[in-house]
Amino acid sequence: MELNKYILRRLIEITVIFFVILTVLFLLFRLAPGDPVSRMVDPSMTAEDARRLIEQLGLDQPLGTQYIIYLKSFFSGDLGISFHYGVPVLDIIGERLPNTILLFTTSVILAALTGIFFGKIASWHKGKKIDSWLTIGALICHTLFLPWLALIIIWFFGYRIGWFPLNGILSPEIWTDPANGFFIRMLDVLHHMALPLMTLFIIHFGSYLLVMRSSMLETLKEDYIITARAKGLEEKVIRNHHAAPNAALPVVTSVALSLAFSINGGALTETVFSWPGIGRELVFAVSNNDYPLALASFLLIAIVVLLANLLVDILYAWLDPRIRY
Amino acid sequence: MTLLDVKNLSISYQTRGGPLQAVEDISFALDKGKTLGFVGESGCGKSTIGLALMGLLPPNTTVTSGSVRFNGSDLLSLSEEKLRQVRWQKIAMIFQAAMNALNPVHRVSDQVAEAILAHTPGISKTDALAQVRELFDLVEIPIKRMNDYPHQYSGGMKQRAVIAMALACRPDLIIADEPTTALDVIVQAQILDEIKSIQKELNLGILFISHDISVVADVCDHIGVMYAGQLVEYGHRREVFESPGHPYTQELVGSHQALLGAQCQPQSAPSAAPNLLSPPPGCRYCDRCKEGGDTCRTEAPQWIELSDNHRIFCCHRDPEE
Amino acid sequence: MSLPDHPKTAARPAGLSVRFHWIRRFREGWAIFRENLIGRIGLMLLGLFGLMALCSFIPPLIDPMYHPMTGVDPAISHSTGPSLKHWLGTDFIGRDIFSQLLAGARIAFMVGLSSALISILLGTTIGMIAGYAGRIADTLLMRLADMIMVMPTLLVVLILASLFGQLSIWTIVLLIALFRWPGVSRVIRAQTLTLKQRPFIEAARVAGASHTRIIFRHIMPNVLPLSLLYMTFRVTSAIIIEAALAFLGFGDPGTVSWGMMLQWVWKTGHMFQAPYWLLPPGICISLLTLSFFMLGRSMDEVLDPRLRKEDTNR
Repeated sequence: MELNKYILRRLIEITVIFFVILTVLFLLFRLAPGDPVSRMVDPSMTAEDARRLIEQLGLDQPLGTQYIIYLKSFFSGDLGISFHYGVPVLDIIGERLPNTILLFTTSVILAALTGIFFGKIASWHKGKKIDSWLTIGALICHTLFLPWLALIIIWFFGYRIGWFPLNGILSPEIWTDPANGFFIRMLDVLHHMALPLMTLFIIHFGSYLLVMRSSMLETLKEDYIITARAKGLEEKVIRNHHAAPNAALPVVTSVALSLAFSINGGALTETVFSWPGIGRELVFAVSNNDYPLALASFLLIAIVVLLANLLVDILYAWLDPRIRY
Repeated sequence: MTLLDVKNLSISYQTRGGPLQAVEDISFALDKGKTLGFVGESGCGKSTIGLALMGLLPPNTTVTSGSVRFNGSDLLSLSEEKLRQVRWQKIAMIFQAAMNALNPVHRVSDQVAEAILAHTPGISKTDALAQVRELFDLVEIPIKRMNDYPHQYSGGMKQRAVIAMALACRPDLIIADEPTTALDVIVQAQILDEIKSIQKELNLGILFISHDISVVADVCDHIGVMYAGQLVEYGHRREVFESPGHPYTQELVGSHQALLGAQCQPQSAPSAAPNLLSPPPGCRYCDRCKEGGDTCRTEAPQWIELSDNHRIFCCHRDPEE
Repeated sequence: MSLPDHPKTAARPAGLSVRFHWIRRFREGWAIFRENLIGRIGLMLLGLFGLMALCSFIPPLIDPMYHPMTGVDPAISHSTGPSLKHWLGTDFIGRDIFSQLLAGARIAFMVGLSSALISILLGTTIGMIAGYAGRIADTLLMRLADMIMVMPTLLVVLILASLFGQLSIWTIVLLIALFRWPGVSRVIRAQTLTLKQRPFIEAARVAGASHTRIIFRHIMPNVLPLSLLYMTFRVTSAIIIEAALAFLGFGDPGTVSWGMMLQWVWKTGHMFQAPYWLLPPGICISLLTLSFFMLGRSMDEVLDPRLRKEDTNR
């Protein structure tokens, strides 16, 4: 019940933040130097079509009226038509979103779990060889330049030993052949996902390991760890049952805090691997001056980030019994 | 019958500035069913003794000399695995609950049951929880609060839970390290009464560690007073509390009585305890001592028997006096 | 989420000269820092990169064909491997990769340090004001910080690039700084809140010091070490964002940055054929980031470790 109230409060907050973003983007698109009409209207349109669209968007009206039209069309799901694809923007991003979520959540969850596990091991053997190696490895993973790592991974796994496809999400010859069932098609997607997943995993793994390690070192100084030891529990039980659950909580927080950063990484990864997701679509749209598509992708990413933050907060409350909102 | 016999125990910490003598040459004995109290200000080494008995000294700390015999066997020479079995089964500890002795992410009942499960081979979780229920009855925690998390408990309830946990395996010896310090006076009195009655019921030996001499005098049969890592006075409760021999004990008892009586004379601000990295050659208390002379600074103090059951570690008093 | 404030209980005596304390604290910190292997390695690597940045002026002086941007070896019109004339080979139109690499170091330092400096100045000032003023100012500023914090900086800058056209390197620096202050300001705010409770601030207020004076004379010297620590993390984030922008093709076309070099390898399809071209810029970005990160981590150990945890992400 309390949690529901908290979620409601957070949802209202998120709505407010989203409105601010929506408004700021509106102002930017209309007031940025240059002709705003060129940003709303596909340059390849006929003069007749262009005139109709200008009227429809109210581009000849005062700013206030334009804003109301903008909001109205946003909430009726009309985000404009992509200059490049010539189809409604909503259709494109609706199709891209699942791909992004698939790649992104898999990599973050995998990296968090492995990072927590190895961070636990490292802190437990603090000062020993295994700790030094894990920490140095994590530091390097954390600071690798993502696009470069992606290129190296493509070069090695895709080109040199050729185990994985270089880019894309599926092989047309497998998907067009009706003989292939669902399982084989999924396998094909996984095969394509391996390299981008590896890239994102390596980048995230390091930072989660470092957070877990330092958090665990703090936890091991807590009094309840002495209690557990005094109780004559086995070291393994103390580590896994008493220290790790407490130490993992800050990792959850760090997932939330680094979400914006991770999204950047996601967009870069998608671009390098031509993974058809939102991030790549945004980069593509910006490169090709496809303004409606860029605007919509950005808004969608903003919604995803805000909701993901909320989700992490709820997860935290669920993991930590002390927090009841 | 002697339950615990500690002889010439010395413990030192490894610090940035070199080894620090936290506990120096301490000897005492405790009989079954009796209570021994250690008093002293924070940092005097009393908690270190408790941890040493449990084999829980931090990694930078070592027992440099001495022996600890518990029920006839030498605790210091036990292997880590043997020691783990002795812990809680034979020697349990009551921690100061306000210092987060309970793990925040587990239910209180589970944390108590865990101790039982770890030391009773073959017991089922249900049976263990049944025992936990009995224990909570004993320490008077409402059974319906059993499955709460620690943060839902009040300070007094947490302390009771910690006591219940200490009793879980029916140990012979309980080390109580500042068990009531964080509690208000009324709850403190309740908890102390509870400890006393449980002790009688189970014939427990208790090593009671506190900075508050009145609490120790209330609960313990014998009192040891510690200052700067050394034992400075040891004796029967009544003798130590009513006719303290060492100037430091006199100061402790005096300040306690000053609190009780109306005569709240401002005490001279005591200077800090000596630096234990390089302790002065003579008596460590001499800087604060009202009676000390110049010889105290240079001559090592000696044990002086005041009576059969009462001795002090001091240099300016002649035994004949 | 702001941290619970646990100032070290040993409050420092009120009237002590702030400046004197500063120097002593720096000396003590340096003594601890020097024992720290990670910190030493970080500092050494930084020195190396600094040297690279300084040396970047030399090659064009030797021969104009070594100019990283405009110098083309007249004998070469495609990418070639390392040779005596071109230590790391040449790029797709015959420019020297080694001198580009040196120039990239200069750009990386410039972008990283100036952007971090601006964002730290912003973050520290905003954090101190929010913490000191409290009430509405605090709420508004921190809400703003929250909002900016959840925005992926790279994508925001991308959108702005699409609107404003080609961004110059200084615009990029400024934009990165504008979106990277919130993390700092939260930590500084928390620190200011605890400082506000200390007796020496109260004493200054009673003595009639103005708010500006209290903030700049009494609070700032105490939060500066923390700001400095965050600066190392902000440097890395600025370098990375700039490199990523350049990699995606939105860098300043008038500069040679490491990100730009990577974009050239990638876009001209040389990534499988020219490891001599693909490897150096990536290694440099990663190593420079690593060395700032190492420096930050060891500084973290020198300063009070309880105060951070907020975010050490880039």
